[in-house]
Amino acid sequence: MRAPDAAPLLAVDHLSVDFGEGAPKALSGVSFELRRDEVLGIVGETGAGKSVLARSLLDLLPEGGRIVEGDIRLDGASVLGLNEAEQGKLRGARIALIGTNAKALLDPVATVGAQIARVLRAHRACGRREAWAAAVDLLAQVGIVNPERRAKAYPHELSGGMAQRVVIAMAMVANPDIVLADDATLGLDATIQVQVLDLLVKRCRELGAGVVLITHDLGIIAHYCDRVAIMKGGRIVELGEVGRFLQGPRDDYSRTLLDAARVRPTPMAGQGEGAAQGMAEATHAKPLLDVRRLEKFFPIAGSTEVVRAIDDVSFSVGRGETLALVGESGSGKTTVGQCLVRLLECDGGGITFDGVDITDMPAKEFRPLRRRLQMVFQEPYVALNPRWPVRALIAEPLRLDPGLNARGRERRVRQLLDLVHLPLSLADAYPHELTAGEQKRIGIARALATGPDFVVFDEPTTALDIRVRAQIIDLVRDLQAEIGMSALFITHDLNSVRSLAHNVAVMRHGKIVEFGETETIFAHPTQDYTRMLLSAELPIEQGLLQRDRAEARRLAGTA
Amino acid sequence: MRATFTRYLSRHPGAVIGLVLLALQIIAILFAPWLTSYSPVEADPLASLEPPSLAHWFGTDVSGMDIYARVIYATRINLLISLTAVAVAFVIGVPVGLLIGFYRGWLSSLVMRMFDFIQSFPIFVLGMALVSVMGQEIWNVSIVLAVLFIPMFARVIRAEVLSLRERPFVAAARCSGATDFSIMFRHILPNALTPAIVQISISVGLAILLTAGLSFVGAGVRMPTPEWGLMVSSGAQQMILGVWWVSLFPGLAIVIAVLSFALIGDMAKDLSDPTMRDRR
Repeated sequence: MRAPDAAPLLAVDHLSVDFGEGAPKALSGVSFELRRDEVLGIVGETGAGKSVLARSLLDLLPEGGRIVEGDIRLDGASVLGLNEAEQGKLRGARIALIGTNAKALLDPVATVGAQIARVLRAHRACGRREAWAAAVDLLAQVGIVNPERRAKAYPHELSGGMAQRVVIAMAMVANPDIVLADDATLGLDATIQVQVLDLLVKRCRELGAGVVLITHDLGIIAHYCDRVAIMKGGRIVELGEVGRFLQGPRDDYSRTLLDAARVRPTPMAGQGEGAAQGMAEATHAKPLLDVRRLEKFFPIAGSTEVVRAIDDVSFSVGRGETLALVGESGSGKTTVGQCLVRLLECDGGGITFDGVDITDMPAKEFRPLRRRLQMVFQEPYVALNPRWPVRALIAEPLRLDPGLNARGRERRVRQLLDLVHLPLSLADAYPHELTAGEQKRIGIARALATGPDFVVFDEPTTALDIRVRAQIIDLVRDLQAEIGMSALFITHDLNSVRSLAHNVAVMRHGKIVEFGETETIFAHPTQDYTRMLLSAELPIEQGLLQRDRAEARRLAGTA
Repeated sequence: MRATFTRYLSRHPGAVIGLVLLALQIIAILFAPWLTSYSPVEADPLASLEPPSLAHWFGTDVSGMDIYARVIYATRINLLISLTAVAVAFVIGVPVGLLIGFYRGWLSSLVMRMFDFIQSFPIFVLGMALVSVMGQEIWNVSIVLAVLFIPMFARVIRAEVLSLRERPFVAAARCSGATDFSIMFRHILPNALTPAIVQISISVGLAILLTAGLSFVGAGVRMPTPEWGLMVSSGAQQMILGVWWVSLFPGLAIVIAVLSFALIGDMAKDLSDPTMRDRR
């Protein structure tokens, strides 16, 4: 159909971008080619220049950014010399961008159907009714159930995964040649992420478009990409076939990345037969935390029905034990964590902490117990007061300790910064000046400040770079070994659970559907739901296998 | 801190203008007797409605009082009334807003309804009522304005508190053992203050205009006390006769005062927010 040796679809040649004279280059000498029908992955940590690259391809650089060197060619023709109108035609028609956080990309005051129709009409002449019908059709194509009704929905009425599908539908409107997906599935549940990526890659393959998948998840690369480019500090340090890359990266930095992503949990120290038995005995003896038939309902506005966020949940955690609570968003796992630290009052059941019933304890009596029962919050940035410097943030929980004066607190702040491997110089920084990984560490330092016996970790590794994620997991594991505290891990990242937890509880729709020792659950899940969660993970090794099969299929197809 | 401030000024010319205009007003307040040889209240019937000249820089009004002297001296009265009113309203309105936003019960609703009542009441009727009860003193004008401004401050703070109290950092603070008091005053208040600070600059401007209005309906400052609003309204009658200077110069003084507080309000907003300080 197409001449195989025509000019590449997209060629980027020694592209350099900077933000102002003398500023360090955001991109320096980036070169790569994208062919039709190809999925190119671009991997790098925050600040590696991935998004700047995507934006410069569309010439949508943030203010102050400019291309200082190099060329971008589409089908052999340079796009840099084009005027504004020609570029506008290029965007959307030939290159489409799918960004992170689809909900923010959609217009909140227009229905999604109207938004897609609007894009349709911008690209080809068609009537209002015709455009609407086409929009509904597109929604159906991206796997949205009941597209006629969904087309009339506003963005806030959609889930994250659904909104991302709408954005994909919108991007596909004009049959673009190139699709740029910039962290398109960041923050989605693992199961949804797989669905969205499957859909995206499938649609692009159908259209014969070239795809640039920008991500920091090597699992995604292993599963979906043909070639991969590793970026660091605005450069591509390695570029090659994914298979070869996974077998042995040539560059040192890409090797560290791959190793960090591969961190396969050393089984928990002493998680052999004997230890498990010992653990079981300890648990039977007297659990540190005991939750019995916990219930929490939320009223639905304008209805007498309630959402059963927690529906008859029971579990217990022994001293030194780590329990993982796994489930998709909306399964009620965070609500459980919030009930444990009394941020929410439960509607039924009981919580016993170290032999004391804390279910209905008055806030004043419970306050001294907070020293022993702490929580690390999910989103590090919003859980830190933006007006407080790090020093004050870490010192806050220390006020719970009446024996500590100002000097003692200051000393403890230094110790804690050291404990979470942060430099002392950060003590006077404000949260917005820190990276996501640093913010997460501050959150952990706050929770550990009072030397608690039990800590709830809410999604400790979501939305972090690969290496930072590995560092945080290591940190938590070391701390647990050192301090010997118990923990509840709330997460959907099964990989991190495997390296940390003794036991796993799988939650769905407010109920615990499966409970057991970590390795048992990983090896022999009994519930379909658990199996689905497990299959949604994208382990790198499995990616290689799939790749071989897909390659075989493709070869068979072409033959 | 000083370095931050200087760098801020170098990037924000508006803030510099605001500070210069404020300095002009402070000079007028402190050195009024040295800035003019005329008395602000002494009438000279022979020199009625004289246009600006070397003798009378801003001209004279209908009773022959020197407008330049009156504009300079009025700075004292106007800023005194406005700043006291706004300060009182801020000091009372902010904690009230914080409390009714944080604790939402019948008492909070009652306070809100009271605010509705105050704000729906015609200010001039309220002003005349208060002044007739308490006597026509400039302090009473301040009190009327303060009563009117308290709901404004309380409302902006309450609106901020309502969303801030649901933010995760408040939950995190609670987990760290923060008491209600500490959450309100140490966590929520610093984050809620920005709109109240902007409200200060708006209120100072509004206070100057309302003072003028109250004087006009006879419920505020009375002639011959030098007050900008009163001077503008007294000149309004002659405006159609081509006598522009009686109203223009006090009007400009009002513009300068309002503008300086607006610009300084912007600066205070930026400097109070650590996430904005280093930005352009």
